[in-house]
Amino acid sequence: MTHPAASVEGVGKRFGATLALDGVDFDVAFGEIHAIVGENGAGKSTLIRILGGVHRPDRGVVRVDGRERHFASPHDAIAAGVVTIPQELRLVPALSIAENIALGDLPVRRLGPLAVVDRARMRAQARAVLAELDFDPDPDRTVASLGFAERQLVAIAKALRRQCRVFVLDEPTAALERREIARLFAVLARMKGKGTAIVYISHRLDEVVAIADRCTVLRDGRVAAVRARGAFSVADLVGAMTGRAMQETVSAAAAPGERLLEARPDGVTTMRLRAGEVVGLAGLLGSGTDRMLRGLFGAAEATTPVAVRGGERRLRGPADAIAAGIGMVPPERSLGLVMNQSVRDNILLPNLDALTRIGWLDSRAGDRIVAELIELVDIRPRRPELRAGALSGGNQQKVILAKWLGRRVAVLLLDEPTQGIDIAAKAQIHALIRDFVARGGGALVHSSDLAELARLCDAVLAVRQGRITAALDRSMGFDEPKLRAAIGG
Amino acid sequence: MTMTAHRSALAGQMPLISLIVLCAVTALLTDRFLSPLNLTNILVQSSIMAVIAMGMTFVIVGGGFDLSVGSTAALSGCVAAMVMLEAGIAAGVAAGILAGAAVGLANGLVIAFLNVNPFITTLGTMVLVRGVVFLITGGAPVSGETGLPGEFVEFGSGRFLGIHYLVWVPALLLAVLSFVMHATPYGRRVYATGGGREAAYLSGVPVRRVIASTYVWCGALAGVAGVMLAARLQSGQPTAGEFYELTAIAAVVLGGASLQGGEGTLYKSVIGVFIMIVLGNALNLLNVDSYWQRVAVGAVIIAAAAAERLRSRQ
Repeated sequence: MTHPAASVEGVGKRFGATLALDGVDFDVAFGEIHAIVGENGAGKSTLIRILGGVHRPDRGVVRVDGRERHFASPHDAIAAGVVTIPQELRLVPALSIAENIALGDLPVRRLGPLAVVDRARMRAQARAVLAELDFDPDPDRTVASLGFAERQLVAIAKALRRQCRVFVLDEPTAALERREIARLFAVLARMKGKGTAIVYISHRLDEVVAIADRCTVLRDGRVAAVRARGAFSVADLVGAMTGRAMQETVSAAAAPGERLLEARPDGVTTMRLRAGEVVGLAGLLGSGTDRMLRGLFGAAEATTPVAVRGGERRLRGPADAIAAGIGMVPPERSLGLVMNQSVRDNILLPNLDALTRIGWLDSRAGDRIVAELIELVDIRPRRPELRAGALSGGNQQKVILAKWLGRRVAVLLLDEPTQGIDIAAKAQIHALIRDFVARGGGALVHSSDLAELARLCDAVLAVRQGRITAALDRSMGFDEPKLRAAIGG
Repeated sequence: MTMTAHRSALAGQMPLISLIVLCAVTALLTDRFLSPLNLTNILVQSSIMAVIAMGMTFVIVGGGFDLSVGSTAALSGCVAAMVMLEAGIAAGVAAGILAGAAVGLANGLVIAFLNVNPFITTLGTMVLVRGVVFLITGGAPVSGETGLPGEFVEFGSGRFLGIHYLVWVPALLLAVLSFVMHATPYGRRVYATGGGREAAYLSGVPVRRVIASTYVWCGALAGVAGVMLAARLQSGQPTAGEFYELTAIAAVVLGGASLQGGEGTLYKSVIGVFIMIVLGNALNLLNVDSYWQRVAVGAVIIAAAAAERLRSRQ
């Protein structure tokens, strides 16, 4: 091939006061997987949105298959063969798999003067593309009945049917289990073999090293490095992304202290959490770790009795759990924050009672606490009046932590605390969790990233099918493969 | 401050700027607009709707919706008049407001605890309550043999310090309720619940109780408006308050509140009421045909909502 499948040259884009992209060159060849990495705010999303026709560049040129293009909408980009799979899949849950795949281009047949949907052909087409992905569901099932990984395959099938030539994936593995990731990679390898150009964005650098033929590193809206396969490692990429060498967080071996939490999250096994301790809950998607954490917070259908600092109580709702000194960092940030309210109001939300003076809010004391917490957890920018929704993922997660640090909870329950956030913010969140337990708190963490649990935790409980099946202690030594074996992954 | 901060501060004042522009244009087109009589008229006309719109603001900020306020106002006016004729002014006023609060409580319990859609629930109570009003009044205005008590009628038309009593009511309510919304924990919980119900729940906010409470405010304030209306009409009118819900919702949206919940301010809702009333007044003064007036008002509401969407998309 003489020209790349798609390229941008000297692309710039400004949003208000922020320069998101500043003269970026990027290209992807047919039959190539080209990864884009960078910290949050580096410009990755802006770049692929320009490729996908969502944003128009202020300057610079976009070419697809050698021709200069001016996409006015995502529809134009799709017509030119550029298909993007965003993090939030754009599927209609209430429609069937086959209908979703055909949507926008329904096969029709004539019925006299009418054009009606040819359901038989629609189903056959769906089966054919799904077979290419080694996925064989009943095409009449609704998308609502599928798990995330399967939905993603449906979205990919939809792209395949559209004869896409440039395939853009934004953080496709953020919510996948290891086996599902392997399946996705097999699909991508097959597409690559057929000559599709693939643009791949991920925070998981080990994946990038594993599958990318080339990797472009963005930093502050510019290209910091472009490396070919074999010429980059995870440490290289981190260095190029942050402009500094990577610092591994290692869990401190804390002396176990006061018993903070005791419960039977699965109804059978007793779990204890002591001050100074980070305990991990390891389990595959669907193993029930999410329900256990919600249960300990009083937010599940059936709640378990929980003993906090020795006092047994039944939690009838999150308000009870919070009163008992438990805080929760939910798996989705939209559950942890009221996105259209300010950072300040979000931090104060669980702290309103403490700030109430005979009926009204002591807003000066509130401002003082918020300022301290923003400084402590390092929320950027340092603007308490900013809407929570305007912050990057890593900073949103810090706001959620700040809520509970302000409340001085004894126990933190964290579900996927670092999912989808960049590596620098991830290290900060880990440091905050370690710091929290070093000051006498206890943390219970679930993460689908087992390497993260192995690094962060003093002990890990393995969960299978809603039951705690094994307890691993740091003193016995654990690493990612051991944890994987324990959860049956 | 950055440029964007300036721009968003300006965007936040759009309702007020719109009102000022509307008044200026009207004043230029007709000299009758600025006459004391006309301005007084606008204030009095706005006063009752302002009270309803404040209640509606509670509900909409909490993420809900209330179509029943017009019927509730009629119920409260009639109940107030009936009780007043038997047991005196104070009892009548209290009964009227309590009747409104009771309708709000019923709405709130069904919506928050049975999870019925607010649109459907309040559509139901809108019709149901109107039926109850006709049942208890037999469809006839309530004013007794000799009319409602003199002091009550005086409240509907008299003035204090040169300003109508009817205008004092929303002015005082605005001061007190703004404090409730912005300076009490309860108010912050209403905003949080409307902005993200699940996130508020996981932060320890009793979201069901908060949601139910917003409907109680709304019902009680519709009750206050109903009592004011009865004073102004010197009777309880079973047909009063029709389409009030639509005007109130339009005013709250014109005031910049989001129907998704979590956004909205009482004083801006009151500005929204002024925009609606001044617009009607201006079209009247300009002798615009009343059929065309409806077309114009409808178009303005849609344009305001569209402008809001366009701005938030940027």
